Amino acid sequence: MQSQYSVTEDLYRMESTYPCLLEQQPGIVNTMDGIESRLPIISNELEVLNKIGKRFLSAIDRFHVHRALMTTLQEMYSFSACCILLKDNPHQLFIIPCQPLSASFIEDMIGRIASAAKVLGFPTAKAEQLAQAAYFDAPDEVAQFRTQEAIKSTEIGSCLSIPLTIDNRIIGILSLFDELVGTFDSNLLKLTTLIADYAAVALENVRLREREHALWRQAERERQRLELIIRSMTESLFITDEYGAIISMNQAARHLLSQLANDLPTNIPLQQLADTHNVKWLYDVARSVNEALSGETVTGREIIIGNEQVPLTLSLSVAPLDDASGPTTHLLGAVVVLNDITATKQVERLKDEFVSVVSHELRTPLTNIKGYTQHLIRRLERRIRKHHEGQPQQQATQVDLPESVDLRSLQIVQSQTDHLERLVNDLLDRSRVQWGQLTLEYQSFYLADVLAKCISSVQASAEQHLLSLEIQVSDTQIVADKSRIEQVVGNLLDNAVKYSPQGGHVTVRLQEQQNMYLVSVIDQGIGVSPEQYQHIFERFYRVSNAATRQYSGVGLGLYVAKAIVTKHGGKIWLSENKGIGGTIFYFTLPCATGPKNAGLPQK
Amino acid sequence: MPPMFDDTSPVSRKQITEAYLKALRLIDERVTPLLGKITTRVLVQAAARHVMDDHPFLYFFVNMPYTEIDPAIIHEQFSGITTQELSAGLDALLDACFAGLTELTGNIIAPPLHSEVIYHLQQAQQQ
Repeated sequence: MQSQYSVTEDLYRMESTYPCLLEQQPGIVNTMDGIESRLPIISNELEVLNKIGKRFLSAIDRFHVHRALMTTLQEMYSFSACCILLKDNPHQLFIIPCQPLSASFIEDMIGRIASAAKVLGFPTAKAEQLAQAAYFDAPDEVAQFRTQEAIKSTEIGSCLSIPLTIDNRIIGILSLFDELVGTFDSNLLKLTTLIADYAAVALENVRLREREHALWRQAERERQRLELIIRSMTESLFITDEYGAIISMNQAARHLLSQLANDLPTNIPLQQLADTHNVKWLYDVARSVNEALSGETVTGREIIIGNEQVPLTLSLSVAPLDDASGPTTHLLGAVVVLNDITATKQVERLKDEFVSVVSHELRTPLTNIKGYTQHLIRRLERRIRKHHEGQPQQQATQVDLPESVDLRSLQIVQSQTDHLERLVNDLLDRSRVQWGQLTLEYQSFYLADVLAKCISSVQASAEQHLLSLEIQVSDTQIVADKSRIEQVVGNLLDNAVKYSPQGGHVTVRLQEQQNMYLVSVIDQGIGVSPEQYQHIFERFYRVSNAATRQYSGVGLGLYVAKAIVTKHGGKIWLSENKGIGGTIFYFTLPCATGPKNAGLPQK
Repeated sequence: MPPMFDDTSPVSRKQITEAYLKALRLIDERVTPLLGKITTRVLVQAAARHVMDDHPFLYFFVNMPYTEIDPAIIHEQFSGITTQELSAGLDALLDACFAGLTELTGNIIAPPLHSEVIYHLQQAQQQ
């Protein structure tokens, strides 16, 4: 092997190019003394480093880096081929030949690179895989091809592998091969390591740039996809800035807004536009946008535009648009979605009208059934009373007349008719509640009497249940709509019985709290899960679980009950019947309920 | 190479370990100016992986660069190993490091450095 300190023909060439970068070159550094004499050398050294640095820094892709590397290395010495193995997943191998290479030379090169990779702890860098992944880059303009005569051998004579490192991290290997033996020595190794450091930085820059481009392309694709989705949405969508001014909108929004207001300018806060135009719907939208800008989300708010028989009805949803990319979220604006639900509303109105008509039609025969049943009950009661009056008292209680059985049957018919009447009333009231047409007819009555009457009615057809009344107040007089209060109590009792299939106690308790009557209907039934509490008073809402599937109903009773109680100035809610199981429904009515409290003229 | 510390050497585990760690540091010192400062650490890790099957007690050199391991922990890890096993294991590690170095740079660094390391280990044995 060549001595460590011997100077080869190539090294002489390098010496003339980079004299100061070599160690212990006699007659160059050591013979020059003093700062003045050293300055030209330092200047020359910096110039060379600057030249190399510029070459690598100006490389915009990995092939430019290869050219910079080849140019710099070939200024120092000649060799057969240079290879770069990058520790990516999968590994990338670039072979940059300086002369035609035989297949065995290439195969041997790849084998040696794989061995070097193993030595440096590269995971799974096998020669076969590298051979498949190898990419030949042949920058002819920088290759200093040797003539066929100059090529001494087709076998590898010298090999050098240098780790490419960035911040104490090996990113790859630079391998140099030559067919001559002893081409590389420690001086060349030191210089080549220096060049490899430049190459590593340049390759890392290229990798980061490629990653940046890939991310940018991905972001751009996402942006285009999002734009396409927004453009093809049938819902109107627009985005406001943090001041509430529209900054962009989709086609549907542009079309809708042009229909509503011809000269609606953008880039002006909606609140300001509403004040200028004095249009109600614009106020509604501006209010919702302002709510979103203060961090709230508005969902499904209805906006009615126009006074026609079928007004334009829009469902408005607004959400704050936050930039969560930084350490703290920053409000960018709001996203507004307007959905035209006029057709849905029209169908709903038609459905309401239909239900209303059907309910009215049902009510007429129901009234007759109820009337005749009451008539028969009274007749039977009179007959039984008369019969009992003619008998000794002890005997009278023991004898079970056929009329008593008939009376019992009729009482069940009456109770069920009451239940049916409540259902029909609920159907009728539903549309009244929805369109704000629920009216109350106030009268003075005793709340305890209404509660007792309702209990008696429901008890008649609830043989498995024991309904009881607890009055915990001395005076129960109230001014309210008696029939509506009956409807509320009846609905709550119907539910209590229906959802207590095993029977049990149903207690109605009347208390007074803070100038309000508090009525509690306590059952021992299957109960309601807490997550359904907030929905249970919604229209057509039915508690859905396996236990409730067997129970009939339309989900209107509690909706109507809430509307009636609210109209009276009270509240209705429910809680779990702790300990025993079941549910407790509460509702309150002001003790001084009446037209004054309800905003109606005093009777 | 044959283990520097054989049965006849009246030395402790700690002395053996320190002698070989010193040898690794010497390699690091010589290799850093030529191949960069991370190379020796990676070489030792790869070498430890290579010899781990025969000398499992060297496993912790695989997961962490030897320069980052507290010497006290190294001594603790070797506490149950005989001096012969320890010497043979560390010797194999050193051999694997030189094989790796030869793989990378041929005969530029490895032969003179190997001689230097042998000399230092012999000195350590005589002390």
